Amino acid sequence: MSKFDERIKNDLAKRTDKDVTDLKDEIWNEINQELFERRRTKMKRKKRWIPAVIIAAAALVLAFTLQTDPGLALIKGIKDMFAPEKEIIQSIEGQDEPTKVQLNEGKDSEYIIYVDQTRYKMVKGAEADIITTIEPLPEKYPEVSMEIKQYPQDKPEELVKQIEAELKMDFPKLRAIETVSEPVEGYWLHGLTESKWDGKVVDVYVISNGKDGSYVITERYFLEAAEGHGARFRHMLESFEIVE
Amino acid sequence: MSPDQWIEQIRAGDQAAFRQFYNAYADAAIRTASAITRNREMAKDAVQETFIRVYRQINNYNPNLPFDPWFYRILTNECLRLLKKDSPLSKFELPDPETNPSLTEESFDYLSDLYDVIQSMDDIHRIPLILKYVKGFSEKEIADILGLNQNTVKSRLFIGRKKLREQLQPDEEEEESK
Repeated sequence: MSKFDERIKNDLAKRTDKDVTDLKDEIWNEINQELFERRRTKMKRKKRWIPAVIIAAAALVLAFTLQTDPGLALIKGIKDMFAPEKEIIQSIEGQDEPTKVQLNEGKDSEYIIYVDQTRYKMVKGAEADIITTIEPLPEKYPEVSMEIKQYPQDKPEELVKQIEAELKMDFPKLRAIETVSEPVEGYWLHGLTESKWDGKVVDVYVISNGKDGSYVITERYFLEAAEGHGARFRHMLESFEIVE
Repeated sequence: MSPDQWIEQIRAGDQAAFRQFYNAYADAAIRTASAITRNREMAKDAVQETFIRVYRQINNYNPNLPFDPWFYRILTNECLRLLKKDSPLSKFELPDPETNPSLTEESFDYLSDLYDVIQSMDDIHRIPLILKYVKGFSEKEIADILGLNQNTVKSRLFIGRKKLREQLQPDEEEEESK
């Protein structure tokens, strides 16, 4: 390195020394609080009040509209409380990407999720709903999908252990069960088969259905698609709301 | 410990490994954010958010690609996002050379401090220089971080360094040319 380069480097270091000294511990304390302490002490409550507010609002609208005949036709269901389309800001590698997403109802209208319909479609099944790419991927790519399934009789804390045991067969290095508040509030399992471009990745979220059962959301993609499909599934899942 | 080993352990949820990783990466990250944002609080927020994103999104990192450009891409984007968000106010927060004692009391040497020269440049020249001289990134790595063509980075670094040379005292220029 030339003297000139050395001087630039030294000047930059000299003028930023104070911030390093002042901020290093302070920033760590904030990170520790956000990632580890808060998670231990309490789970985020943001999802809990939303259904209650929606139900209360729906009840008010329903009470009002039922007084008139035309009003009866206006309310088709609680899903009418949600905007049919909205724009979300997706963070891909820290870069904000505005994306239009469309409202989709889950099986029996028991939940809603906003889907990026320029890239994905939601296929409703008898047992579960699956969000997958509009066009099937060529055969060389592992599966890319997000399945949403309800288990009305199984509590999340029991179900997650059962799923963990099952996943360990395909994902020997499965990460230990974590409690998360984002993208949904519940338990999270993460597995990767191998560190190759086509290594299979699985993210499973087990959350309460608001009663005695659970919803299980299973995201499947491959390592090279983690910053693409993986990040986009996560953003779509952030819009997941139970409405019944 | 190498980034690969940290990443493996962080993926497995090892909090101690994440702390070690923070200790190893925080200094350069704070310097970079501080130099890019020119604002202590903004730098703090950018670094904090970057480490949180890295922990939460470590599964989005492709281990077949080098880790540092991925990390600094997140950090730089976060700095730029905060700068953009704060832009209507930030111009009022820059020190006024006429009234700011920290500037008026400095000696002539201060005026030739290359840090100030870098900070007087526009972002397209300033940020590549910061990435090159704080962390020692190559032109290719800077291109990856900023999403630019490598030749564009080369040209911007050339112009930035030329401006810096022009600010050096003539005797230093002579010494440099020897």
